[in-house]
Amino acid sequence: MPALIEARGLAKTYRLGRVDVPALRGVDVDVQPGEFVAIVGPSGSGKSTLMHLLGCLDTPTAGRYQLDGEDVSALAGKRLAQVRNRKVGFVFQTFNLMPRLTIEENVALPLKYRGGVPRKERKRRAVAGLEHLGLGHRIGHRPEELSGGERQRVAIARALVGEPAILMADEPTGNLDSKAGGEVMRTFEALHAAGHTVILVTHDPLVAERAERIIQIADGQVVA
Amino acid sequence: MADRQGRLSATAELFGDALRQILAHPLRSLLTLSGIVFGAASLVSLTSIAVGMKEMAYRDLESIGFPRSIQFADRGPRSDATRAVDLRHPGLRISDAEAVAAMPGVASVHPRVWGGNLLATGPAGRRNIPVEGIAEGFLTLRNFEVVAGREFRALDIAHAARVAVVGEETARDLFGAVSPIGRAITLDGTRMTVIGVIAPQRFEMAPIDFSWVSRRVYVPWTHLQRYYRPPSRIDGMLVTAVAGGDVGEMLRRADLLVRQRHLGATDYELENEAADVLSDLAMADSILGGWNSVMYAISVVTILVGGIGLFSVLLISVRERVREIGIMKALGADDGHIRSLFLAESLTLAALGAVGGIGAGMGLIVLTTWIGAQFGKVFTIPLHWPGVAFALGFALVVGLLFGWYPARRAARLDPVEAMAG
Ligand SMILES: Nc1ncnc2c1ncn2[C@@H]1O[C@H](COP(=O)(O)OP(=O)(O)OP(=O)(O)O)[C@@H](O)[C@H]1O
Ligand SMILES: [Mg+2]
Repeated sequence: MPALIEARGLAKTYRLGRVDVPALRGVDVDVQPGEFVAIVGPSGSGKSTLMHLLGCLDTPTAGRYQLDGEDVSALAGKRLAQVRNRKVGFVFQTFNLMPRLTIEENVALPLKYRGGVPRKERKRRAVAGLEHLGLGHRIGHRPEELSGGERQRVAIARALVGEPAILMADEPTGNLDSKAGGEVMRTFEALHAAGHTVILVTHDPLVAERAERIIQIADGQVVA
Repeated sequence: MADRQGRLSATAELFGDALRQILAHPLRSLLTLSGIVFGAASLVSLTSIAVGMKEMAYRDLESIGFPRSIQFADRGPRSDATRAVDLRHPGLRISDAEAVAAMPGVASVHPRVWGGNLLATGPAGRRNIPVEGIAEGFLTLRNFEVVAGREFRALDIAHAARVAVVGEETARDLFGAVSPIGRAITLDGTRMTVIGVIAPQRFEMAPIDFSWVSRRVYVPWTHLQRYYRPPSRIDGMLVTAVAGGDVGEMLRRADLLVRQRHLGATDYELENEAADVLSDLAMADSILGGWNSVMYAISVVTILVGGIGLFSVLLISVRERVREIGIMKALGADDGHIRSLFLAESLTLAALGAVGGIGAGMGLIVLTTWIGAQFGKVFTIPLHWPGVAFALGFALVVGLLFGWYPARRAARLDPVEAMAG
């Protein structure tokens, strides 16, 4: 089976004025379909940077990245936006929900940007996704009316609504108490069990333990 | 087909979202739009008022029947006449009127005879009053309002009937509160039966005072002709052209005809009322044209200044929504999505401003009409549609123009940086 993610020598250097800040210094990552991978490492080691590259939210300064059989390291503009929209579902530490939209409107957003999906169909799929994650009773509410754990599950529903090839999460439990965090982790486990490919960043060893495989990063490099 | 419908509903959704965004900040949106509102309002109201006034003036003039008529006035044999031929020919005659009436292109000929000031006596009083001899249909032609009784008929004229139509004020002077219709007055010793009372028409716009109509007595021209003039002489005639006929051409041919009949004598004057009025109207037109270009220029500038307000509020809107833009891009919105989002907001704001301004302009028109009414003027001011279309169109152009940079700026944000805030 071909790898879902095949990254070779991924590097990212930020420029701060005249200073180059190497956040990532040549990282190789392979992820097979259906895997559940945790990326761990100390703060500032480059975990988020790596996730942004893998999620096509950012482009590497060096290296090659093949996602779902397509070389995306050189993509830009509309094509890159399409890959983000179709291949990747991204979950953030701070949920990143639109405060003025209802949760089902939030969940439907990726379908809106995909284009060609009628409004009714978008809503239907959003509602189905929310119900699937046990949030059916919250439909019509706005994010501020929900608990942190619920908000993060709305964000997961949003990441999944476009049926992406891979689900990525950057410290999804970082802003949650242990109870809510546990709920969110169970959601990821259930999704993995249902066949989804999941990559998540964490620095909670208890969270990382639940993954099948752990990639350890330090100082912009894979150490284990 | 399905694709087109999809695009249509996507566009509708885009503008719906833009409207929601705008309504989230009603006060800010309102302040932003003031320039566009003022520009559109002044454009719509002032051009409408200018054009409306012009049309009213045209209607007034048409209501007097001027633009389709010429006037012959007798000059008689003049003592300072230098040419023998001028002395030999004694001015306008009834046969001239008949000859002109037979010309093609002539709708009607109205002979006129002046009685000068005559003593009129009624049961309630006596007055020295100007008396004019006219033909049937003349009062209708001039649009004087017959408030009681009737106008002269052809038979009254043909028989030089001793009947009179008196002005409203004169009727009161001579009869008091009693209805004068069917009652008699004596005019310079002759008993005349009053058959009608007239009042001047009211004008919307033209500064013409016809109130003297109220203080006048009209009688058949044939009556005055018989008792106050040498045989077959008249003092003047009004000639009207057929509808759609060329008044200037009629004037030339009538002039030629009468001059021939008078063997070249210049014993009459010819006045082209139509041409006089038309040249006045042409001047009014050119003034109006100038006024309109000034209005358009001022409105263009005002709306452009409004565009700067639009521009700054859009930049604020972009800055406020940086995080949202980052999220949208992370979810797969491309630059075009973000750009159209802000362009739609800009266009919607501009359109709202234009619509508000057009509404305000209509309000100003109503106000003008009301003020006119306070001064006893009846203003009818229709909306000047070219002004409305221009205000809306130009506001949209400004919306597109001034929305472009903020939209581009929003579209170019980097998703990760934008989400970080
Ligand atoms: N936009 C940026 N500009 C400059 N430097 C950056 C930028 N983003 C990240 N960095 C730097 O790159 C390095 C890696 O950052 P990154 O956010 O990937 O670390 P992290 O492992 O996610 O840390 P944490 O656990 O605190 O989230 C850090 O030294 C950070 O300061
Ligand atoms: Mg991080």
